[in-house]
Amino acid sequence: MRIRPALAVIALLAVAGCTAETPAPVEAPAATPASTAPAAAPDTSCKPRASLRPTGTLPAPGRMPAGSHMATIVNNGRLVLGTSQDTLLFSSRNPFTGKVEGFDVDMGRQIAQAIFGDPEKLQIRVVPRAERTAWVRDGKVDLVISTMTANCARWKEVDFSTTYFVTGQKVLVGTGSTAKSIEDLGGEKVCAAVGSTSLDNIAKVRTKPIPVGKASFGECLVAFQQNEVAAISTDDTILAGLAAQDPYAEVVGPRFTEEPYGMAISKEHPEFTRFVNAVLENNRRNGTWAATYDKWLGTAPQPPAAQYR
Amino acid sequence: MTTALTHRSATAVPPRTGALRRVGQLRQSSPGRLQLIRAALVTLAVLTGLIAGLTAASATAGTSDLRDRAQPLLVEAETIYSALADADTTAAQAFLAGGLEPVRLTERYEADLARATTSLASAARLTPEGSAASRAVEALATGTTRYAALVATARAVNRQGLPVGASYLATASQLNRETLQPEAKALFQLARKEVDSGYSAARSSWWLMLLLTVFVLLTIMLIWSQLYLSRTTNRTFNVPLVAATGLAALLMLTSGFVFSGQRDMLSTADQDGSAPVAALAESRILLLRERADEALTLAARAGNGPHEKDFQATREQLTFDDESLDGFEWNLREIREQHQVYLDLHEKVRELDDGGDYDGAVKLAVGEGATTAFENVLDSVDNLLDDRKHTFDEHIREAGSGLGTLTWLGPLLALAIGVLAVFGLRARLEEYR
Repeated sequence: MRIRPALAVIALLAVAGCTAETPAPVEAPAATPASTAPAAAPDTSCKPRASLRPTGTLPAPGRMPAGSHMATIVNNGRLVLGTSQDTLLFSSRNPFTGKVEGFDVDMGRQIAQAIFGDPEKLQIRVVPRAERTAWVRDGKVDLVISTMTANCARWKEVDFSTTYFVTGQKVLVGTGSTAKSIEDLGGEKVCAAVGSTSLDNIAKVRTKPIPVGKASFGECLVAFQQNEVAAISTDDTILAGLAAQDPYAEVVGPRFTEEPYGMAISKEHPEFTRFVNAVLENNRRNGTWAATYDKWLGTAPQPPAAQYR
Repeated sequence: MTTALTHRSATAVPPRTGALRRVGQLRQSSPGRLQLIRAALVTLAVLTGLIAGLTAASATAGTSDLRDRAQPLLVEAETIYSALADADTTAAQAFLAGGLEPVRLTERYEADLARATTSLASAARLTPEGSAASRAVEALATGTTRYAALVATARAVNRQGLPVGASYLATASQLNRETLQPEAKALFQLARKEVDSGYSAARSSWWLMLLLTVFVLLTIMLIWSQLYLSRTTNRTFNVPLVAATGLAALLMLTSGFVFSGQRDMLSTADQDGSAPVAALAESRILLLRERADEALTLAARAGNGPHEKDFQATREQLTFDDESLDGFEWNLREIREQHQVYLDLHEKVRELDDGGDYDGAVKLAVGEGATTAFENVLDSVDNLLDDRKHTFDEHIREAGSGLGTLTWLGPLLALAIGVLAVFGLRARLEEYR
């Protein structure tokens, strides 16, 4: 029984690989099962944190090298950022203003600043979690910054920037719960967003909690508050945002995975990945990264070090 | 009797016994034949009276079921469906507007929910227990309560500025569109079917055919017996039988008049009432679906997505040219023009959103212009819908008139025919005493 989904994943990945050069929007749904099916074994065929090395110095804002994807973005007049609108602290819709804001959005604004000299030249499109790689591959967005773990399965479909954030998976339970870690939730329903690595990770836990997929983590919190699921499990930073909205929820246990976040960019535009890495490099050095961290998440640690191929 | 019957079936040429033999023997003598004629005339007259009464009663019951149950159920089903669709649209727009939801939209949502729950309560009264329609009403009542609770939570959470409010709204909208609206649609279609079968019950075609058959038999029998009597006796006319024939003709004419009048009114009620009401109700729901799709596309903030595809598919269906609406070309032209104004604005909304101006798109979509344009179409459809509901009420009321009279007049006239037949033949029978 375990072999078949695995074979299906491989077949789908192969299809995705073949069609990567000519993006066809109709292929988009095909990527969904590939990323949601529980992977049989962790893919260690690559170094997920290692990205493309920046070349030379950053071009001045508005003067992008001809023929580069950055020049195309300048022509379009805006950088199209794919993200979510319900991940508090990273990218969520402010109910008072209707604006989507957070750490991830600010990362996008910094890229827009580097391209245009204007952080406002940013168009936000909310990407369903299960379709993040497909949207990047099909060019529906210029890049995805959406608490997205860089892993080898995804590296086969898209390129990632260097790691801009590191976190790990924990579990959110009700304050009255006796569970101290994900292991204590065997046989219980545990929610995560469809298409997230968190959902796959729940299925891998030894005590076998029952993974329940919802369209977003916000909808997981709804299911949790409606007693449809016993817990939510994902990266502790996302869980902190959820727990902040519900005084009867708490985040427990140790991190049982390590999730390096990267910005997903199409494999067709390696020059754009190098450009983004150069921007990240600058922002790590000049304190912009730390300031953004302070603004949304509290006292900043050392930024994750860049690794290159 | 039992032995007689088994005996009869066992032999090829049955020697007649008992009652059967006696009836058979009646044919052999003249008074016997007269007795047979009398019995046949009385039986046919009683049957005619009975069937005329029953036909009128069945048509009355059918007509009032159509008037008091089937058509009102269709109207309630339409209200439930469109109130749910409108609630979804309104909630999505309130979300888009951002901040504290505008009072106008809150009031509209509350009114929608009140309409839906009121209509659910009356629909529950109009559906027989255990029927498919009644199960649909129950499921809708449960689902609507859950929906209202989710939206109420979304609003309470939204007031605290927590993003999970948006997720509550998304969950509520999903419940509305994926569960409640399909259920309401199924109820609407069940109600349409009940209206159709209500019309055939009101027409009582089988009863009418039976009535016509006994009428024909009675007339033939009356004429034949008079011919027989004038042939076998010296009198050319048998006055009571002539009078009976006259009464039969009167009964036939009255029934013909009443039933054809009823059928005429029924088909007018159907063609100018029920059919356009159903077609307009569907258009109304499709219109609301368009508006909800527009808002949900913007709320999802994912650009040209599945809701916009649904918008385009819905727009294709919205042609306002159902054949039942022939004759309202003037109203329809106005509706189409108003719809086009709204569609043009929608195109602008899409252009703005696809061009990267999300805030501009939202502003245009929930702004005064688009709201007015949309409500104009909806109002025009509503006006025509009310007009057609009124036409139905008028004609169905007239369809019922006269049927009640026939319910007692039919049996009474038939009784008189029977009595006259007995009188007419008594004089002849007495000649043999």
